[in-house]
Amino acid sequence: MAEPNQYLHLKLGNAGFLLPGVSGFNIEQRDGMTTNESAEGNVAAWRTVHNTRQPAYCLDGSLRVTRHHHWERAVFLAAAPHAVGLVVDEVQLLPGTETIITPFTPPGQPPTRVGHLFSGAWVTGQRAMLVFDPPALIAYLQSLGEE
Amino acid sequence: MKPRARTGHRLHSLEVPLQGVTLIVPSAAVAEVINPINMTPVPFSESWLKGVIGWRTLAVPVVSLEVLLGGAAPVDISTGKIVIFYPLSGRKDWEFYALLATAEPRPLVLDGSQPAAERSELPDSPYIAAGLKINDRLMSVPDLDALKKTFYP
Repeated sequence: MAEPNQYLHLKLGNAGFLLPGVSGFNIEQRDGMTTNESAEGNVAAWRTVHNTRQPAYCLDGSLRVTRHHHWERAVFLAAAPHAVGLVVDEVQLLPGTETIITPFTPPGQPPTRVGHLFSGAWVTGQRAMLVFDPPALIAYLQSLGEE
Repeated sequence: MKPRARTGHRLHSLEVPLQGVTLIVPSAAVAEVINPINMTPVPFSESWLKGVIGWRTLAVPVVSLEVLLGGAAPVDISTGKIVIFYPLSGRKDWEFYALLATAEPRPLVLDGSQPAAERSELPDSPYIAAGLKINDRLMSVPDLDALKKTFYP
């Protein structure tokens, strides 16, 4: 479990995002999960905790559902009624001291019922890496269904 | 339309060329003009939001006003400019925003003698408040309140 001031760098397809440590995430290895063998549905795999299946979704850099088999781990975010997961191509824990986050809210209508998917950005030079807003990311993942 | 009477008041402005329309904005509204740089796409954002850039430690959204006006965004921005605006009135001091321009903005000084354009000559859009005719060229004044309502609903 990360500290609140730490960030997890997630690589999804060709894009990178940060997830705040405050979201209460943990990382699950693929070996501990059951992959979705069906070509249907949005879920890439499930982990089972106390007899409850918790879905993990595979997203591309545009955050659209995709399927590929070259992944090794998923990041699960604490949520109600149960955690939801995000399959990642790469994941790295960044120290909070090296990661200065500037506030950023995309202009326009928010895409989820709880607001915008991003609440900040990590700016290094002219490059900005978007920081997920955990409640909005959870709402988006939950909207993808359980199958 | 008759030219307005000169008032002696001079307003330093910038002519900002976009694709299909030219804006005229107060110079004081513009923080900086920079060369095009790679933008980070913002998933599930509005079609007029072309991405976000890093600028002076801030994250600045880059907007295509052409799309808000009902047109298409410029395909090739490599020859254009990114015009960074100060935050709209009442917004937080980090909420700079940027527009894509097709060329370097040019300074203009308005002295009240420039004739106003007829509404029928302007783009039919809530994002255009008024227009001026300067040297027989039509320049549109953006409606910043309308932009603010769209940016921050």
